[in-house]
Amino acid sequence: MAHRWGMVVDLDKCTGCEACVTACHAENNIPTAGATEAGRGRAMHWLRVERYWEGDFPDVKVKFKPVMCQHCDNAPCEAVCPTYASHQTDEGLNAQVYNRCIGTRYCANACSYNVRFFNFFNPQWEKPLQLQLNPDVSVREVGVMEKCTFCVQRIKSGKSAAKADGRELKDGDIQPACVQSCPAGAIIFGDLNDHESRAARLTHSPRGTKLLEDEGTEPKVTYLQRQSWNEPDTQ
Amino acid sequence: MNRTRNNPLADDLIRPLLHTSVWFYGAVLVLATIVLCGAAAWAYQVWYGIGVAGINWPVFWGFYLTNFVFWIGISHAGTLISAILRLVNARWRRPVTRCAEVITVFALMIGATFPIIHLGKPWLFFWLAPYPSAREIWPNFRSPLVWDFFAINTYLTGSLLFLILPMIPDFAVIRDRSSGLRRRIYGTLALGWQGTTTQWHRLEAAMQIMAVAIIPVAVSVHTIVSFDFSMAHVPMWHSTIFGPYFVAGAIFSGIAALIIAMAALRRTLRLHAYLHPLHFDNLAKLLLLMSLLWGYFVFSERLTVWYGNQPSEMAVFWATQRGEYASLYWTMVFCNFIIPVGILSFRRLRTLPGIVLVSCGVLVGMWLERFLIIVPGLANKPLSYSWGTYSPQPTEIVIMVATFAAMALLYMLFSKVVPIISIWEMKVGNQPHPALPADEEEEQQGLWRARP
Amino acid sequence: MNAVYALYDNPAAVQRAVDGLRAAGVADADIQIMSSEPFEEYEFGHKDSASWIHWIAGLGGITGLTAAYLLTSLTQQAWPLRTSGMPIVAPWPNLIVIFEMTMLGAILATVLTLFVSAKLPRRLPPLYDTEVSDGYILVGVQRTSGQPLGDVTAALEAVGEGRVKHVGR
Repeated sequence: MAHRWGMVVDLDKCTGCEACVTACHAENNIPTAGATEAGRGRAMHWLRVERYWEGDFPDVKVKFKPVMCQHCDNAPCEAVCPTYASHQTDEGLNAQVYNRCIGTRYCANACSYNVRFFNFFNPQWEKPLQLQLNPDVSVREVGVMEKCTFCVQRIKSGKSAAKADGRELKDGDIQPACVQSCPAGAIIFGDLNDHESRAARLTHSPRGTKLLEDEGTEPKVTYLQRQSWNEPDTQ
Repeated sequence: MNRTRNNPLADDLIRPLLHTSVWFYGAVLVLATIVLCGAAAWAYQVWYGIGVAGINWPVFWGFYLTNFVFWIGISHAGTLISAILRLVNARWRRPVTRCAEVITVFALMIGATFPIIHLGKPWLFFWLAPYPSAREIWPNFRSPLVWDFFAINTYLTGSLLFLILPMIPDFAVIRDRSSGLRRRIYGTLALGWQGTTTQWHRLEAAMQIMAVAIIPVAVSVHTIVSFDFSMAHVPMWHSTIFGPYFVAGAIFSGIAALIIAMAALRRTLRLHAYLHPLHFDNLAKLLLLMSLLWGYFVFSERLTVWYGNQPSEMAVFWATQRGEYASLYWTMVFCNFIIPVGILSFRRLRTLPGIVLVSCGVLVGMWLERFLIIVPGLANKPLSYSWGTYSPQPTEIVIMVATFAAMALLYMLFSKVVPIISIWEMKVGNQPHPALPADEEEEQQGLWRARP
Repeated sequence: MNAVYALYDNPAAVQRAVDGLRAAGVADADIQIMSSEPFEEYEFGHKDSASWIHWIAGLGGITGLTAAYLLTSLTQQAWPLRTSGMPIVAPWPNLIVIFEMTMLGAILATVLTLFVSAKLPRRLPPLYDTEVSDGYILVGVQRTSGQPLGDVTAALEAVGEGRVKHVGR
């Protein structure tokens, strides 16, 4: 049976440390925009940690929400692309083919989660930072869209490593950079078609919700959250 | 009933082609300079990347797409209006149709460049066209941008032919009345037109069919442009009213552009004998009608959003109604509704300067309308963490100004090459009708009045 | 070839000239009328009118429709890529492309028919007079060399106004 990759983010464990964001940048050759350009909305974070405050000082609660591409089954970004740069793969990944992209940016507008990023300029790395580029990931040129791939290069190499060893792929063999780097173990990745995988089991957790579920996009990322957390004081 | 000895009609209408004032050259020079500045700005953008424009995350579409929708809207001035007037045989249409059709063709050409200008990789724009390529991949026919490609292609081809076909007899007139190089050029353009009865019949039949065909195409074009927005899950974009709303807005701004162009032609080419106050008055009434229709659509759109009270849509609603974009929003309402209704409803105020003033306001208002549809929705998408803002950068502004200059320039050059009022259609309008027996005459009286 | 024609300055005279030519036994197809404007209100203005051009437009539309249907459905099947959970051959969006290409087909067929049946573009034939552009209406008959045109000349002169001119010979 084909794989169907999915992710679970446990918000009750997330501390908002942003190690995942850093790991994502390093793994996927995501350029940094610099302060000025970031101020103009040109920063690229395939994975970002959204912070929401609740309550008034001093009784403030901060909620962290790591948001990456939700790899929706009914992804609004896909159909609007005139060149099939954005489409759904057989393994349920929402793929972005950089070489097909002509930069209409329609997908980014159609995306309800704003997780698609555009190369407004050719990416640059100050020397010697170019030496840390990941050779498994292509560097995107000016004018194309990019976004979280669930570290598709790691999925590929995990599958070929298993094949080379002549064994079945095990749950946990493949770890995207964010999963690997999360100190709290809040992000879980796995095959949703493998009912024994942690990700598949946690997807059905009663704590689970989808982001903007009523948009009907059928995301493959599930957020776990204790539902009583927000209940007002009963005193 | 000698209709030939004094033939002031053809003389008057060909005169602009033969005599050019110094002012014309001056204006061409100024406009061409502005257009070149725009071209330079685009080259700069292609060289450094589209980041020189103000678009950002999350407002990925800004001035360029606003101008795209605006110009495609302006293009509804011509072919649609002239096709409708042709079909209903409105007598007063004859001096107006060509002025209008020219606007369509040029506005479409200008509008269609914006989706290319706005691309991240403009040099690959032809990937939208369906052709067998080494990439073995065809366009995604589910994408509204591909619908745009087909719709604009059909509309541009149709309007271009709709404009050019009735020009052939006029080229023949110029050919016969000139000599030397001009005679050879217009002789080639006239394609050997003699004006035989067969040719006239074929031309009129073709124009009739084209008029019928072009109306649904025009409606579809702006509906599809609206689909670019309404197909996406962006708050206040995802609306079923957008199709008719955009079409009405397009005709609204188109009529305004037509009025301005006609007033300019009347003054500069001294066409007072052909473009009468009546024409402006009739167009002004149409403009008033479209203004009321526009108000109706805006009210329906706003009311349903407000009553539905969905959080993500209300964020956009309040941002436009009394937030960041409120000043632009109320300027739009003022220009598109309050001023037109306030001035055009009263016969005493419906003077030529008044009508032109209202039309200029409508162009401003309709431009703002497109901006206010595109930007606030993108800036206030459902996840409030990703809210953003947009401010245009010099590149975008220069390119936008250059397209207005390009429109004026193309229009001026066109009016120097082709009679801007169709000579033969004016002649048909002036035809005497044949004498009939008294009883038949009586019977036909009503018909004659109705005929063009 | 040789030809004779007359220039009249009003359509009523043209109508009389045409009637005279017919009375003199000239076939309708041989009578050529040229003007700088169409005359819908006179009988001679309806010569050579035809309604089959509408059918050609319809055929063009059907051609466009078929082409668009094949283009959309075949290319979608050629390399099936899934997007937004939509079917591989997505009927609703395809309808939009089909509509546009139908209309394009109809428009192009119409214009093509116009050019072919009005015999455009062509070199300006010898039977023509630039005074047509001044508002005169030309009525002429053209025959292969050697055939006499006396009857035609007589019929054209019988109208009582206008100027009769000869071409060729």
